[in-house]
Amino acid sequence: MSFNVLIVDDSSAMRAVIKKVIGLSGFKMDSCLEAENGRQAMDLLSDQWVDVIISDINMPEVNGLEFLELLRENETLKEIPVIMITTEASEQRMQGAFDRGAKGFIKKPFLPEEIKRVLYKVIGVGSDGQYEEDTRDADELDF
Amino acid sequence: MGNTKKIQEMLMNSIFDVFEKMFFVFLEPCDEEMKYDMSASIEFAGSFKGNIRAYLSTGIANSMVENMLGLEAAEITDKTREDCAKESLNMIAGSFVHKLDAGTVFDLSIPTYKKESGRFGPESPGNINLLFDSDGLYLGISMKLEENKK
Repeated sequence: MSFNVLIVDDSSAMRAVIKKVIGLSGFKMDSCLEAENGRQAMDLLSDQWVDVIISDINMPEVNGLEFLELLRENETLKEIPVIMITTEASEQRMQGAFDRGAKGFIKKPFLPEEIKRVLYKVIGVGSDGQYEEDTRDADELDF
Repeated sequence: MGNTKKIQEMLMNSIFDVFEKMFFVFLEPCDEEMKYDMSASIEFAGSFKGNIRAYLSTGIANSMVENMLGLEAAEITDKTREDCAKESLNMIAGSFVHKLDAGTVFDLSIPTYKKESGRFGPESPGNINLLFDSDGLYLGISMKLEENKK
């Protein structure tokens, strides 16, 4: 079983890094969609399904918190787990994201292991379709 | 402003953290004036407000792109340099304000970027200026910080 991932970040460099890290983590990714902000992400989600979303907070047009609210207002899309990834990780900011439905949090700058850990916490995958942790150590990932 | 040395240390630790973790670039503080080829800037506001500006030589920007995105020298473009410069500043500012006051929510602006050349030195009244060398590649950081009385 493999999963569709949506990465929402206004930095194409950061989207590329996150995509690379997910690939290296061993997470079974079927497709990886990308959007520059919450507005673009909502457009993509109008006709494509994803299993998990990784979203920045500080973005132009529709930021990450506004994006969470738009997802929450949608009966179908609100079921998709969202992991927030941000530079400004005060407790209040994190709580604000969790209150809007975020399921995980990654603070930038991050180590590859941190993305992997949070991703598996939110949605793990095994060959039998059961949730399970990838047991490889971080130093086994060639980042 | 009091505690300038402590604030300078916090900023320096944020810069080291970002450059080592995300760009695999190891910086050494230096005092010599540097020539820069591009700059990026970000503003922040919370219990304190201010801005941080980064001055980068083409060499260090290329090194950041190569290491972060795994691109070959021939694949590097102005856009990839701009993206990495802005993202580095975004992470430095986020890390710094968290060290400065973890209990407050800070708003960070969307970073801006300019392709411009000039010289950057350690002296600038009212600002904290830091210069770094990484095997002959140069980075300058300038920060303006004040209490937000609003």
